[in-house]
Amino acid sequence: MKLAVVGKGGSGKTTTSSVIARTLARSGRAVVALDCDSNPNLGISLGVGDEETERLVSMRQALDEGEEEHANNWDTLISRYGSDGPDGVRLAVVSRIDNPEPG
Amino acid sequence: MSPEQLLGSVDFPEDDVVVADFEAGVGTLTRLGEEHVDTVVIVVEATPKSLEVGARAAALASERTVARIVVVANRIRHDEDLETVKAAFPGMEVVGVPHDPKIVEADRKGVAPIDLDPNGPAVLALIGLASTLIPTSN
Repeated sequence: MKLAVVGKGGSGKTTTSSVIARTLARSGRAVVALDCDSNPNLGISLGVGDEETERLVSMRQALDEGEEEHANNWDTLISRYGSDGPDGVRLAVVSRIDNPEPG
Repeated sequence: MSPEQLLGSVDFPEDDVVVADFEAGVGTLTRLGEEHVDTVVIVVEATPKSLEVGARAAALASERTVARIVVVANRIRHDEDLETVKAAFPGMEVVGVPHDPKIVEADRKGVAPIDLDPNGPAVLALIGLASTLIPTSN
């Protein structure tokens, strides 16, 4: 089951994504939250904290700069580059953040 | 991997749920292939710019094989706000989320809205929406 949350920057996309992800995890589903925004802060709204959010963003940057081998499939990405958050939500940052658009 | 490549990956476990917070605007939707997502949640406010982006997102999602499109009318302050959003998305499912200062407070504190005020009006509206998105697991 794949859900995409879209909208103009500042519309409340990230808050919406975070509450949906946490709620579905509480209902017993295995939930992966993917931060695809070029201004990645889904981790903060999920309750992962700003330090861990920043760590995931740095990891994504390292991927873009070729310092790490690119994850070439779903399992690799989630297990190597994901982080466990509240209610068991697994978070991964997958956006390209070299050219962030203003939110 | 780009978000759209990842969402199209063949080894995605069927029972898992992925919630993808897309980039601002409709860029990722334009690059999304068929059947990469099951449900598109379009978050808008009752402002012309927000509704315009939302309308483009709705058009793009409608062109694809998406089982369900839900419009979230966010930061609703008056009934007119909800009516404005409904009028912009005729015939579509629209869920209202009230304006709630606790969401702003959560942002300011860097904490999860669902932790700061689990029974606040905005959080409860979003929990209500989430519970309709997938069949219950039991």
